[in-house]
Amino acid sequence: MSVYKHDYRAYSGRVTPIWARIGVLVRYGLAEALSSKITIGLFLAALIPFIVLLIQVYLANNPAARLLVSRNGLSWLEINSEYFLRALQLQCWFALPLMSWVAPRLITYDLADSALPILLSHPVSRFGYVLGKFIALFVSLASVTLLPCLVLFVYQCYFAPPGWTSANLSIAAGIVVGGTIWITLLSMLGLAFSSWVKWRTLATGVIFAAIFVPAGVGGIVTAVLRTKWGSLLNLPVMMTQLWQRLLGVPEMVRTGSDWSLPSTAILIMLLAACLVCVAMLNARIRAREVVRG
Amino acid sequence: MNDRIVFENVSKFYGEVLGVNRVSFSIPPGITTLVGPNGSGKTTLMNLMTGLVQPSSGQISVLGIGPGDADAFFRMVGYCAQFDSFPRGLTGYQFLFDSLMLHGMADYDAFRLASEALERVRLTEAAGRRIAAYSKGMRQKIRLAQAIAHHPRVLVLDEPLNGLDPMARAESLALFEELGRQGMHLIISSHILDEVDRISDRVILITGGYLIAEGNIHQVRQEVRDKPMQVLVRCDKPELLASRMFSVNHCVEARLHGDGKGVFLRTADIDEFYRLLNDVAIEGLVKIEAVAPADDNANAIYNYLIGSDGGAS
Amino acid sequence: MAANANALTNHLKQQPWGLWWLQARRLTRIEVRRNLLSWRAIWIYFLAFIPALIILIHAVFERRDRFAISDDTMVLAGIVQFYYIRLGIFFGSLGIFSRLIRGEMVERSLHYYLLSPVRREILLLAKFAAGSFSAVLLFGSALIASFALMYLPYGAVGHDFVFNGPGMSQLEAYLAIVFLACLGYGSVFLLLSMIFRNPMPAAMLVLGWEAVNPVLPSILQKISVASYLRHLMPVSVPGDGIFALLTVETEPVPGWVAALGLLLLIAVVLAYSCYRIRRLEIRYTTD
Repeated sequence: MSVYKHDYRAYSGRVTPIWARIGVLVRYGLAEALSSKITIGLFLAALIPFIVLLIQVYLANNPAARLLVSRNGLSWLEINSEYFLRALQLQCWFALPLMSWVAPRLITYDLADSALPILLSHPVSRFGYVLGKFIALFVSLASVTLLPCLVLFVYQCYFAPPGWTSANLSIAAGIVVGGTIWITLLSMLGLAFSSWVKWRTLATGVIFAAIFVPAGVGGIVTAVLRTKWGSLLNLPVMMTQLWQRLLGVPEMVRTGSDWSLPSTAILIMLLAACLVCVAMLNARIRAREVVRG
Repeated sequence: MNDRIVFENVSKFYGEVLGVNRVSFSIPPGITTLVGPNGSGKTTLMNLMTGLVQPSSGQISVLGIGPGDADAFFRMVGYCAQFDSFPRGLTGYQFLFDSLMLHGMADYDAFRLASEALERVRLTEAAGRRIAAYSKGMRQKIRLAQAIAHHPRVLVLDEPLNGLDPMARAESLALFEELGRQGMHLIISSHILDEVDRISDRVILITGGYLIAEGNIHQVRQEVRDKPMQVLVRCDKPELLASRMFSVNHCVEARLHGDGKGVFLRTADIDEFYRLLNDVAIEGLVKIEAVAPADDNANAIYNYLIGSDGGAS
Repeated sequence: MAANANALTNHLKQQPWGLWWLQARRLTRIEVRRNLLSWRAIWIYFLAFIPALIILIHAVFERRDRFAISDDTMVLAGIVQFYYIRLGIFFGSLGIFSRLIRGEMVERSLHYYLLSPVRREILLLAKFAAGSFSAVLLFGSALIASFALMYLPYGAVGHDFVFNGPGMSQLEAYLAIVFLACLGYGSVFLLLSMIFRNPMPAAMLVLGWEAVNPVLPSILQKISVASYLRHLMPVSVPGDGIFALLTVETEPVPGWVAALGLLLLIAVVLAYSCYRIRRLEIRYTTD
């Protein structure tokens, strides 16, 4: 039968802007992350130190509590840059298990179920796809790192004497910059390694290994080659030194040696790690898979 | 009985989800087909039969042996599951050879049986290639080869014709018929009801986890009393035959065939119908050329008992 | 009771031990081929041999007169205690052993094994043997390479230290530690992979448990692989800062007692795993 009727027409109505389409991925990513009870549990667990820290700020600024402590000969808690450094470290390390649980849920399901060809056949580029997942993960991690630490700072500002806030704005800036660097790195690592291993069951372990094994290797380099540069593989050490500098906390110096890494070297290393993650994502987030026989 | 596959009141629940409920049957040698809509419990039955899942209640025995005795059980049972997945990095030959080595046989025997199985499914040329590079049909064939390689007495096949081209499908059906003739138990699940008709000795209909019917296709059809049987009569005067047959109570429907040379008649009493038809033929009013049951097949039974919505009717 | 013992003995004699041994050997061979000889295993090679590579750089490029052999002995002890036990063998065993059962469930290929005429307990023990062989071979070889590369550049002094001094006994102790660590962590991860659909969170909890175990009561220290291995260390390494937690030894225990205790723990875990695998069902999901 010859085709003589042409009734079919493509959709020609209004289309949403590109950012709205990425927003769809963000929304679904957050929904996927929050659908797990373990995610909720990890969020709640991350709130526990925050609540303890909040109480500490309250007590530190409470005259009655200060009186009680001084009577008993105990030293008093000072809310200063060291305090906020500890808070930032605590919250940032709580973000690690959260990321290792959430990141695989965002990426590996799509890979394992061969959903990428379907998703990428829509008007969303690979960059848009990754950006959507990245934003979902970033928002999740920011809610347990940046947000609690900034709330602590604002709470302290509320109680602090006049002039304290303006004198300590650098602490807030340090929290924002330090926290952003950390959760950006964590998000990139989480997405990259989740895309590299197809199974969600393996991805969590691989992410932990990707952080701690290089730290161990860095420790070996430091010990065997007697050099501080091995610490450039040690993410916990690098981030601790970076946070110390951002929040203006004096670094602890190990006796008889200089283990302090230059900030430039730390930032270059972190950037290199992000670039490696980008390369991994570029290799894995594709609309096709080649099986070699 | 030691030549039967017996399910006694078997139920399987996955948490609160029903797999199968109080299923009892006894399967003799030959080809038995499991028929049912998607999600009806066919794969669950097969997994129960082969010990991949344990029943929540009830007893299962295959030729007198339970799935718990792995050594004896799996020497006589072969299962071609529906999962289209394989151990990574293996060629077709390695896949078969490794499987046979676990039976404890000598290397040469494993090699010989693997080669034989590959030959049977026409995969000898591709045996040296990795399974990951096989087409869907080839993967189906290699799974079948793995199930038959050790010459089991019971062969359970979950949708074995999926992904096969018509030629391969015909070859597989011929293989199944041959194995059935040799006295093997073949349990096949299939949606292709025409082929079920062609090769099956028995059919088990299942839907929603419940056993609906079991037995020879013709027997099952005759027992479906609430659905009158349909017969196609090819003759020279179909309208006259229709009016003649329709005059009796048990004939409930008459429909002319599209080519005008036959009539479909539905009757609630098939024996009386044939007796009357004989009388009509003897009278000579109508020249009858052929008489054939029009719904004495798996397709009809499926529609009558399960229906198009998949629920038991 | 004598009649029961006789019945049990007769029952045991009637079992097809020869067939089981043959099947176990073949299954182990198949699994070792998949674990060890595939490009996917490259990350385990990296985990195992990276310390040896770093020590090789140290051996080739650094002047030996700058260092004392005792310093390098401490460094090697630190590598074993902090890297191999806590990180390398831990994550290596996690990857190897969780793939054996859970990995095959995810790949939807485990049913082929369960449909073969092999007892499930034999299947489990053969897989465990294969994983252990792979892990011990890799990490043992890497340790020997690290040890050799550490002392080789010292020439006659190094030779004397190893063959006439404490070196050889230290190497034997390290190899025993690697062997027991691979088996210990392997049995734990094999069990976790059968209990949990996703064993990784549990494995990370084990990582944390192993870290804080030294400060726990003595009875809880018995449920830790690293706590037994600590007693086998030939050289005690003082930890710095938070690492001091990992080197605390609360009750000194003879090495053979610690080894026996760990072997007993491994046996108990494996016995329970054998019980679990009998009830294992094939229910592949998209997870």
